[in-house]
Amino acid sequence: MKEIIENLKNGIIKSNPVLILLLGLCPTLAVSTSIDNAFGMTAAVLFVLISSNIIVSLIRKYTPKRVRIPVFIVIIATLVTIVDLTMQAFLPSLSESLGIFIPLIVVNCIILGRAEAFASKNKVPNAIMDAVGMGIGFGIAITTISLFREILGTGNLEVFGIELFKIPGLSENPMPIFILPMGAFLVISILLATLRYTGVIKSG
Amino acid sequence: MTKINLKQEIVPVLFLTFIVCLSVIFLYATNSVTEEYIKNTKNDAVKSMLKEQFSEMDDYSYDEKLEYYTILLNDEIVGYAFVAVANGYGGPIELFVALESNFLDDDDIIIHGISVVSHSETPGLGEKIVEASFSDQFTGINVNDVALTEDGGKIDSISGATISSSAVVDAMFNSVRQKAEVIRNNIDLNSEEES
Repeated sequence: MKEIIENLKNGIIKSNPVLILLLGLCPTLAVSTSIDNAFGMTAAVLFVLISSNIIVSLIRKYTPKRVRIPVFIVIIATLVTIVDLTMQAFLPSLSESLGIFIPLIVVNCIILGRAEAFASKNKVPNAIMDAVGMGIGFGIAITTISLFREILGTGNLEVFGIELFKIPGLSENPMPIFILPMGAFLVISILLATLRYTGVIKSG
Repeated sequence: MTKINLKQEIVPVLFLTFIVCLSVIFLYATNSVTEEYIKNTKNDAVKSMLKEQFSEMDDYSYDEKLEYYTILLNDEIVGYAFVAVANGYGGPIELFVALESNFLDDDDIIIHGISVVSHSETPGLGEKIVEASFSDQFTGINVNDVALTEDGGKIDSISGATISSSAVVDAMFNSVRQKAEVIRNNIDLNSEEES
C-alpha cells in the first residue's frame, strides 16, 4: 500500500514529468494558451497514459524484448487515435483548438517513457498509480503555465465559457506576447527558476 | 540450433502482428461508432455558418465538383456561398464568402457577407480579422469596392495588421469574380438544358 502511494507521489512531486524530468515540453508549451486547452490536453494525456500503462503492464511477461518499443508505439498510437476520433465526434470545438497536438500525443515522451521505464517492469496496480501520478503532474504543470498565460495575455480568466474574473486595465490592454509562443518559454523558464530558487524542486 | 532461431526470430514477429491486428479491430470499432457523429458535427458547422449569413434560409445544396453552396428559400435561390483561401501573415486564412444571387456580369456582384472559418494570425493584431468591425465592412458592397481605403476601396485595414487585412481583401477580390463566373456558367448550362 505504501509503495502504491509512493508511486502516485513520485509523478506529482519527486519526478514531475514536466517540471523535473522536462519531458513532454512540446504539448506543454504549445497548448497552454488557455485553461480550457490545458484541461482538455490533461484529460487526453491522462486517458492515454493510464490505458497504455495498464496494457503494457498486462502484456509485460509475453512481450519479446526485441520488439517491445514497436509494440508500445502501436498500443499508444491506437489509444491516441481512439481519443482523437472520440473528441472529434463529441467535443468538436476542443478538438479544433487542440488540433495537431492530440495526434502528437503518440510521440509524447512522457507516455512512451513511462511504458518503457515503469509499466513494462511493474505490476498493474503500481502501473496505474504511476500513470495517474504522472498525468496529474503533467496537468499541474500545464495548468499553471496556462493560468499565467491566459491571465497576462488576455486580462481575464474564462473556464469552459464562464468568466471567472477580469483584471481592470489589463483586459483592455492585454499583453498578447504571453499568448504567443515566446510567452510560453518566458513563463516556463520563470516558473522553473522560481521553483529551483525557492527549493521546491531540488536541482541536480 | 533451429529451435533457438524459431524462438528468437519468429515469436517477436508474430507477437507484433498480433498486437497490430488487435489495434486494427479496436480502431475499426471506434471508427464505426464515431463516424456518423463526426459527419453530423461537420454538417452542423456548415449549416450554422450558412445560417449566420442567410438567417432566412430553409435549405441548401452543395455542388461538389464546382465547390459552392446554393442557398434556397421556398425553392428560390437567394444566394451563393463558397470557401476562399487567403495567404495570411501566419498561414492560410479560410474565408466563408456569401454572395447575393442576382448578378449578371462582373460589375454587379454584391457581397452578402463574409466570415472567417480558420486562421493562424497573430493574437491581438491580425486576429482582429474575425471581429465584426472588420468583416462587416464587406457586407452589401460591390466587388469593385473591395480594396483597402488607401487604394481607393471601401475596406479600412486593421492598424498593425496590414498584411492580414490585405490578404483577405486580395483573396476576396480574386476569388469572388472567379467563383461568380463559375456559378454563372453553371446556371447558363442548366437553363440551356431545360429549354
